[in-house]
Amino acid sequence: MKNRLKVLRAERDWTQAQLADALDVSRQTINAIETGKFDPSLPLAFRAARLFALHIEEIFHDEDRSGLATEIKKDTYV
Amino acid sequence: MSTKLYTKTTIGDMMNQLKPPENGYKSRIRTSTIRLYRWHGAWAAATMLMAFGPGFLWHRALGLTLLAAGLDVAAGVGMILATKKFIEELDELQRKIFLNALGIAVGVGLIAGVPWTVMDAYHVIHFHANFGFLVILQGLAFMVSLLYGTWRYR
Repeated sequence: MKNRLKVLRAERDWTQAQLADALDVSRQTINAIETGKFDPSLPLAFRAARLFALHIEEIFHDEDRSGLATEIKKDTYV
Repeated sequence: MSTKLYTKTTIGDMMNQLKPPENGYKSRIRTSTIRLYRWHGAWAAATMLMAFGPGFLWHRALGLTLLAAGLDVAAGVGMILATKKFIEELDELQRKIFLNALGIAVGVGLIAGVPWTVMDAYHVIHFHANFGFLVILQGLAFMVSLLYGTWRYR
């Protein structure tokens, strides 16, 4: 799963520690999410969305989603 | 990519949310860790009392030995509950790292412990298979796993 957490944080000039405090997690967790090493749970993703006043899908998106959409489209026409 | 205009109020709200709460993650973990250390210390002290007390302090008096054993069990229960509380306080990544390390430590204890006792029973090894070695092995496996997990998600 990819995410725009680092970009959104940078746009607001927040540090990882500040974001971690706001989301009630450790700084290590923020770093691991930003670098794509760890996918957050749904409640944490919702908290991030609420904090940035965005929809979840505007922050997190599935890497395979485009491929899946193409496959579904292909199947529809077969 | 959607562009979004942030009003002063929205940014103000966001900044308010960024202020570390008094009972924030760091504070909760600090409290929880201190509680964990205290209970582990209490258990270690109670275990030492039970191990050395009968021989060195009260000359194998049954009542005092039973009392020391009861104290050790009570401290052990406290330690388990403190560990449970500590795990609950961890955030999701830290909990994952901690539980992975615990799982590996239990697994190592199991796969090493069974052959260890069998080899002792059939005199393959020429010394008594002490349970203490297994605890040390599990402790080492836990620490290595915890360090690896922390390094992996650094």
